[in-house]
Amino acid sequence: MKILTTVKKVVDVELNIHLKDGVIVEDGLQYVINAWDESAVEASVRLKENKGAETTLVSIGGGDNSDMIRRCYAMGIEKGIHIDDPALAKADSSIFAKVLQKVYEKGNYDLVITGKQAQDTDSGQTGIILAEYLGLPCVSNVIAIEVMDDKHIKVSRSGDDGTEIVELELPAVITVDVSINEPRLPQMRGIMMAKKKAIDVMDLAALGTSPDDVGCATPKSGIVEFMASKMRKAGKKFEGDAAEITAQVVNLLANEAKVL
Amino acid sequence: MNPLLMSLLLIVGLGLFGRTMYHKILLLTALEPADRAGHIKERLKNMVILAIGQKRLVGRKKEWASGIMHALIFWGFCILLIRSLNLYGEGFIKGYQLPFFGDDYMLGYLYIALKDIMECIVLLMVIYAIFRRAVLKPERLHNTWEAYFVLAMIGVLMISDLLHDGARYNLIMLHNNPEQLHFFNNPRYGSEFLWTPVSVGAAALISGVSADASGNIMVSMFWLHIMTQLTFLNFLPLGKHFHVITSLPNVFFKNLGYPHEKPRLLDLEDESAWENESLGIKHIHQLNWKQGLDLYTCTECGRCKEVCPAYTTDKPLNLHDFNDKLKFELFDNADNIIKRAKLSATKKENGNTDLTDKIKAEKAELNSKKQLIGDVIAEETLWACTTCRACEEVCPVTIEHVPRIIAMRQGQTTMAEAYPKELNKALKGLERNGNPWGIGYDKRADWADGSGVKIMVDDADVEYLLWVGCAGSFDDRTKKVSTSLVKILQKADISFAILGVEEKCTGDFARRVGNEMLYQMMAKENIEILNNYKVKKIITACPHCFNTLKHEYPQMGGNYKVIHHTELIDQLVKTGKITLNKSLEGSLTYHDPCYLGRYNSVYDQPRSILQSISKDGLKELGRHGRESFCCGAGGGRMWMEETIGKRINLERAEEIVGRKIANVAVGCPFCLTMLEDGMKELNKEEEIKTQDIAELVAKNMA
Repeated sequence: MKILTTVKKVVDVELNIHLKDGVIVEDGLQYVINAWDESAVEASVRLKENKGAETTLVSIGGGDNSDMIRRCYAMGIEKGIHIDDPALAKADSSIFAKVLQKVYEKGNYDLVITGKQAQDTDSGQTGIILAEYLGLPCVSNVIAIEVMDDKHIKVSRSGDDGTEIVELELPAVITVDVSINEPRLPQMRGIMMAKKKAIDVMDLAALGTSPDDVGCATPKSGIVEFMASKMRKAGKKFEGDAAEITAQVVNLLANEAKVL
Repeated sequence: MNPLLMSLLLIVGLGLFGRTMYHKILLLTALEPADRAGHIKERLKNMVILAIGQKRLVGRKKEWASGIMHALIFWGFCILLIRSLNLYGEGFIKGYQLPFFGDDYMLGYLYIALKDIMECIVLLMVIYAIFRRAVLKPERLHNTWEAYFVLAMIGVLMISDLLHDGARYNLIMLHNNPEQLHFFNNPRYGSEFLWTPVSVGAAALISGVSADASGNIMVSMFWLHIMTQLTFLNFLPLGKHFHVITSLPNVFFKNLGYPHEKPRLLDLEDESAWENESLGIKHIHQLNWKQGLDLYTCTECGRCKEVCPAYTTDKPLNLHDFNDKLKFELFDNADNIIKRAKLSATKKENGNTDLTDKIKAEKAELNSKKQLIGDVIAEETLWACTTCRACEEVCPVTIEHVPRIIAMRQGQTTMAEAYPKELNKALKGLERNGNPWGIGYDKRADWADGSGVKIMVDDADVEYLLWVGCAGSFDDRTKKVSTSLVKILQKADISFAILGVEEKCTGDFARRVGNEMLYQMMAKENIEILNNYKVKKIITACPHCFNTLKHEYPQMGGNYKVIHHTELIDQLVKTGKITLNKSLEGSLTYHDPCYLGRYNSVYDQPRSILQSISKDGLKELGRHGRESFCCGAGGGRMWMEETIGKRINLERAEEIVGRKIANVAVGCPFCLTMLEDGMKELNKEEEIKTQDIAELVAKNMA
């Protein structure tokens, strides 16, 4: 089984994000692998370890992604492709999906595993659009994978009212939730080996396509402006018995908040 | 008495003993090197105080009776060594005495008197020891036939010698000395028997028998004594009584300058170390010789487990059992370990740095068939340790338990990648944001907003760097400690600054869980920053940071004068820079943090500060000072769930509640969290306030 895993580099959301004129201030930021993609990598590596799958990852854009890709190597991914092209600077989910389609078509894969969404844009579309472009079956929000035979897998999908168990014929696309596994922490031996491994970096031309071909000129969506979300004010704590508290609350609602 | 028989016994007895010892020593020399050279004076001093002086036996109030019992038996043995040599001489020459120990000398008389009384004392102690084992049954002891057998042999040695002298007395005094036996009879000091009341007493017990029978008793007791002694000597190396021989050297070679061997700085890029799986300890042959000697020396007294926070709360860590298992694995593999060492030596002699494949294969064949972690020591045993060092502090023979555990964790984490995966969250936090909570590194100095604290990047011209630590920076409760400490420093007009977002975790917890890679990553980045600012003096409120900065950063080129905040506050009080008010209401106790107390011997300063602020003085807990009880968070345990047995912090909180205390002072952010959590669980957090010393000082200074 050949698996293609997609990974995206995102800003570390543990950090405070500062904006200036509707643009993110880069100074002091650090970038990490998208948490959902990290779970996709872990899921692929487990299929490699348990079922002998071959694992390839692909990342798109974002300049030098070698640290992130090597981290994935250290986790156990065997091959890495990085598509970097200035034309992709403003790419949206549909363009990423188009690029992934090209990567998929060159590689003869049986299964594509993507993260369900990315921590930065949270749009959750790329994997699903990719399946549509490829005309492959797709299950999103996967929380468990079981290999049945060379041609079939069974996945569990977390839904609002319970878990759906879906059998899929390969090739197929699945998008995974972070709850599917606890990604391993790369250790020294893997990190040392990862240092020596090559990363296949290519632009769109090298991939056998062009900016126009993947729709760079006509993105279906784009970012207009970033706005900081308002910080919640600290709450107020009232003390006393029920009557006293009610009086205090009514007083504040009437005189301070002026809503009564 | 009978030179032929004596020669035969000595040749057989000493020959067998020599052969056993040769193998035991050969095995030690086949283990890994350990640097315990030099500092002879300090080593001798340790040996005199700890081994010969039996400090940890007689010095523990809790166990003074058994301590004195052991010490008297030990001292008795030392004294009786001279007697033994005299007896061996007697086998060849009638009436033999060592030079200066004959009846021409006062020394000879003093010696026989001392020997006489010591035999009696040792005999009484042996009876007490048997009574204690059989009737009192202290929990820490595990009763074995070996222990009784050895006690019985010691008893036989004493009784046979006393009866030998008793029979000799009867022959000389009651039967007119038919064999012209020699006895001390210098007119200046009188007859020998005026000096040996116990032997004379023994003589009275057998005075009713004939001269012939007395002669027979004397001779048979003589040979019984000699044979028991040689049997005893040969029995020692076979079991836990090997400590009779190895304790002195073990204490002599104890680590100096730091309570135990520091974790080895591993070269993680050393290909051959990876090939030999020698990063940390993964195989029994990777113990160093001192660790081997520790195993020889373990007396199975069980003091270690009695004070162990893991054992006493029902975790599967029993240190004397741990030692025993390692010892038997070592002995089971002794021949292969010796062969392996010879193979390595051949390689060195040939000057050929690349091992041939053949030798490599041969060496691999010599590995133990058992997995050290898994088959010999259970994984959950290895991870139960909080590295608190209580075990080492009470061990009478100074066994270093903790470094071995950390080295084994290094093997598990670095090479086998088999460590508790629940640690990943904290380790990933370290990797990305330099703190185990994983909170954005850019928020590290948020606590100091508006406090007027300088940041090094703005002004590095300060006397001290205040190392805040992760807890002091990110944990809401501990931030209050940081704020209090700042108030004190500002009040005392101390010139200081913090690193702000440039500070990272020291890596302490990563190192204790065997993740040497992350430790070195943290240490390297921190040292670069510190050295860049030419930092000389560091203050910190976290004993874990304190210990790592002070003792482990020098391994990587970070040399600073590091001071714990309680030491500094004590200085500030003593030099009048701050004045404390005796205004703290309610009883007060102090919980010693392991990494401040046992690791760094800071016991007095915190107490001195607390005495100065408490109206009611300081009330000690049952377990305090060197024998303080861990809060349960050390050794990376802070970041692991405690699912087996009783929680350690709860055990400690209950102890505090039992003492009817109103205020608990701590000097460590982890202790603060753990004890407060324990109090919450017992619904006592309102009644019993747990606070850092800095908070208490800030509230009670003028």
